Amino acid sequence: MRRSDRIRLDEAVALRRERFGALAYSYRDRQLLFIDRRLLPFVSSDGGRPVGEIADELIDRGDLQEDAVPHLMTVLEGLRRKGIVHVVV
Amino acid sequence: MSSYETLHHGLSAPICLTWEVTYACNLACVHCLSSSGKRAPDELTTAEARALIDEWAAMQVFYINVGGGEPLARPDFFELMEHALERRIGVKFSTNGTLLDRAAARWIASTDYVDVQISLDGASPEVNDAIRGRGTFQHARRAMELLAGEGFRFKVNHVVTRRSFDQLDALYELVTGMGGQLRVTRLRPSGRGAAVWHALKLTQEQNRRLYAWLRTHPDVLTGDSFFHLSALGAPLDGLNLCGAGRIVCCVDPRGDVYACPFVLAPEFRAGNVRERSFASIWRDSPLFRRLRAREVEGRCRSCGAYGRCHGGCMAAKHFTGASLDDPDPECVFEPETGPTSTLIPLPLTPRPLRPVPLR
Ligand code: SF4
Ligand code: SF4
Repeated sequence: MRRSDRIRLDEAVALRRERFGALAYSYRDRQLLFIDRRLLPFVSSDGGRPVGEIADELIDRGDLQEDAVPHLMTVLEGLRRKGIVHVVV
Repeated sequence: MSSYETLHHGLSAPICLTWEVTYACNLACVHCLSSSGKRAPDELTTAEARALIDEWAAMQVFYINVGGGEPLARPDFFELMEHALERRIGVKFSTNGTLLDRAAARWIASTDYVDVQISLDGASPEVNDAIRGRGTFQHARRAMELLAGEGFRFKVNHVVTRRSFDQLDALYELVTGMGGQLRVTRLRPSGRGAAVWHALKLTQEQNRRLYAWLRTHPDVLTGDSFFHLSALGAPLDGLNLCGAGRIVCCVDPRGDVYACPFVLAPEFRAGNVRERSFASIWRDSPLFRRLRAREVEGRCRSCGAYGRCHGGCMAAKHFTGASLDDPDPECVFEPETGPTSTLIPLPLTPRPLRPVPLR
């Protein structure tokens, strides 16, 4: 996933807030995923802003370490492959 | 973060919520976990059941596992399921298949969020019917055909026993050959299962072979049922821990909430939805809080496989008289107890099929 990508949740996926972050459930293929708290601002975004911009904002607020960003992009890419989020085109 | 830490504080709603909608059943399988047969006089009314579904929707329960008894024996079954689906709660229901007619198959195939599991406990009438009752193999097969005829990818749920173990490959072929998916479940000594446990539980050798079979059949679902076998090597798919009260719970036909469908006993009853909201029982019942904080002690804690098996199934321990801190009665490192013959006579016989009005 690139910093300039904008993503949104798949419409067949429901997100339920939990202490650790959220549970995501796909009604399409019955997948259930544990979503870490740090991923929530990305996964629950509506595709309006690039993921890089959201990451920068979290870093500025002290909610995300800069060196965690590459790993985060990999995890988001994994969620895209699983059909949980889509890149908005 | 480990699964234990994640689940320690509890989830806002269960992941695996089983709802036994009725104790009525037209069969009397020898291993029935809920000892079903007769409808209980005080089962939840349609209005109470609808209100419960509304509460689950408000909690964002993603799906419910509907069982019984035989769910289709409940006259308002379709009304309740429609109500759940309208509220975006997926339905996975288990049926013995005997009451599943063409209209039901059409309805199932027309929905997006319904999964169906047909119970079949052998790949031949001889093996299956000795456990589920005369004629049940043919009825289950007919239900599979009806669903397949509608283009629906059904599941078959198979409780693996020492009698059916050698038929696993045949059952796999039968089910997948009809376009279905096989799910295998562990026999627990719950309900009537307690009486047949020693005669039907897998031998230790079968348990080892089952682990290897599951590893080579990743398309076979297990519902996290055999995680005690993960102690044998690489973990099987799933959380590999007892989810009772943590991610799992069961609401019985009277509205009693239990930690898991395999522990329908007063010690594991957390409350009743007629007295308190389901949400408050789930979040705050002392029993569930205790279970969430609990870790198995004793010998398991010094076992090298603890991280993969976590001490096994609470229900299996409880109903065999073991302490909850003991290893699972089918712990892979325990020696064989009792005879290993695959044809021990059953102390119970299933009742043949009884007619039940469908709607
Ligand atoms: S001793 Fe306990 S943790 Fe180890 S394999 Fe047996 S049941 Fe599992
Ligand atoms: S008691 Fe057994 S069946 Fe119930 S959730 Fe725990 S491991 Fe599963």
